[in-house]
Amino acid sequence: MKRFLETGNFAITEGAILAGCRFFAGYPITPATELAEAMSFRLPQEGGVYLQAEDETAAMHMCIGASLGGYKAMTATSGPGFILYADPYGWALGCETPLVVLNSGRVGPVSGITGAPGQGEFYLTRYPTQGGNFEAICLAPNSAQECMAMTVEAFYLSERFRMPVTVLADQLITDGFEDISVPENEEEMKKMGFRTWSRKIHQGPDFYPATDEIDIPPVVLGHNTGALCSDWTPTEEGYDIEEVEAHHKHAYRLIYKVRNHRDLFNHHYDKKFMDDDPDLIVVSYGTPSRVVNTAVSKARDEGLKVGALRLINLWPFPDEFFGAKTKYLAVELNWDGQLVREVQRAVPKDSEVHFLGSCGDLPTIPDLIETFEKVLKDEPLARKGWKLEAW
Amino acid sequence: MKNRIEIVASGFGGQGVVRLGQIIGETGVKQGLHVAMLKSHGTEMRGGYVRSQVVLSQDIIDSPMCESPDYFIALSSAAYKRFKDTVADDGLILYDPAFVDEVDEALACTQKAVPAKELSMENFDNALFANTLVLGFIARLVNALDKEIMLESVLEIIPKFHNRNRKAFQIGYDYQS
Repeated sequence: MKRFLETGNFAITEGAILAGCRFFAGYPITPATELAEAMSFRLPQEGGVYLQAEDETAAMHMCIGASLGGYKAMTATSGPGFILYADPYGWALGCETPLVVLNSGRVGPVSGITGAPGQGEFYLTRYPTQGGNFEAICLAPNSAQECMAMTVEAFYLSERFRMPVTVLADQLITDGFEDISVPENEEEMKKMGFRTWSRKIHQGPDFYPATDEIDIPPVVLGHNTGALCSDWTPTEEGYDIEEVEAHHKHAYRLIYKVRNHRDLFNHHYDKKFMDDDPDLIVVSYGTPSRVVNTAVSKARDEGLKVGALRLINLWPFPDEFFGAKTKYLAVELNWDGQLVREVQRAVPKDSEVHFLGSCGDLPTIPDLIETFEKVLKDEPLARKGWKLEAW
Repeated sequence: MKNRIEIVASGFGGQGVVRLGQIIGETGVKQGLHVAMLKSHGTEMRGGYVRSQVVLSQDIIDSPMCESPDYFIALSSAAYKRFKDTVADDGLILYDPAFVDEVDEALACTQKAVPAKELSMENFDNALFANTLVLGFIARLVNALDKEIMLESVLEIIPKFHNRNRKAFQIGYDYQS
């Protein structure tokens, strides 16, 4: 095991290489530029390929091509590039092409603020393309070390589910430095809980069966089989067609292969002080969850019965964690409230759901504790400079 | 050592604020500590606002934010004004008078002026070594950081001008403010 002070971008690069990634195409953007830089340096050392694309759309299409050619492939960007993935993301979902996509969130919309963190793509990672008729998988790490672990995990899930998987990080962890431990062999990887899945090659006969089965190997060109890459409906035999009945079967597969195998990722969460039915559950993901953890520990010292629930697996959304009828507070790095809407949907009827947003910087511990107190005392939450919020 | 030490450095882009934090962090990692270092910056490579927040701890670090820093290295007037009030009462502000002209005497924390830019110009006829000087000064000031390991980290992270960096580090270490 090697120990470094390195960025999340570096950790993701090492994670990808450990998972078997040997192809990266991307277009540099803050705060994921150093990831492209690290890949351009590291992949050739491992016999892999780094390609700088002319834009993000081309980059992800190149990744689809590489995946159909038998490579484990990855691309990385931030919000303004992630929206350009919308077209190829749909192709990868539809053609069931395993890929890993990293999105490091900054402040939006559009270019917004480049060197500061934001969480504005919560729903965009659920609907990364148009058209619906699919489930998406998204993992949200909260440290450089976990960036590495979740990249490895994303490759594992993408191979087993035969689909693109998004890792949603933010500027603070991809750009920031932390002490990280990099495993040097398979034994150390296992000890760190890393799961890997090698690329297997589909041999037919049914290329796109209308079932919810997973572990069907992806199609790879040049292995006695063809490979379909089409924006129409793939038939079970691997032809494309434009027809409702076939599309209905196809959509069933894209939705239920994920919905019916949630046991594969429903352990991705973190609970703190959640065993004594807390009066307030603070829900967060990504870097804010680390401040929430500290604030919740301090609030407990002050006698507030608060618990922290941190989501790692964002999509499919883990409704099963929201069974308690109590008060909830969603803490996010945006001012409009995104996670809070999903919490509202998932909680039992008549539960109270509140929202605390900050953007460009993390919430402070005193702000968090003050908000916990207000929510527990049924006092309204007001934001400095803004009118009362009606969450 | 204190279980958690927070160090903030802030100034303009191009001054080496990120490298400075990185060297402190690297020293921490080499000493077996947990380290988190956040960096915030604007789009500009040079001239924009930059901040590094370093947390050193014996435990796994939850919040990576420096909400009440033990040490604040101010390398511009704007940075000084922006973060001076966050420094803990028993904390310390270290500023370069070449960049920070106005000091708030009302603060409870200790403040030390280190004329790093001036000393760098005097000794090397170049302002480039100011940060290494500051790091030398910090190595003496922060008990948790080992001088030799810090110097090793300086030489590792700054691959050029090893002799002058060694000398600058020692000048900073010996400087009495």
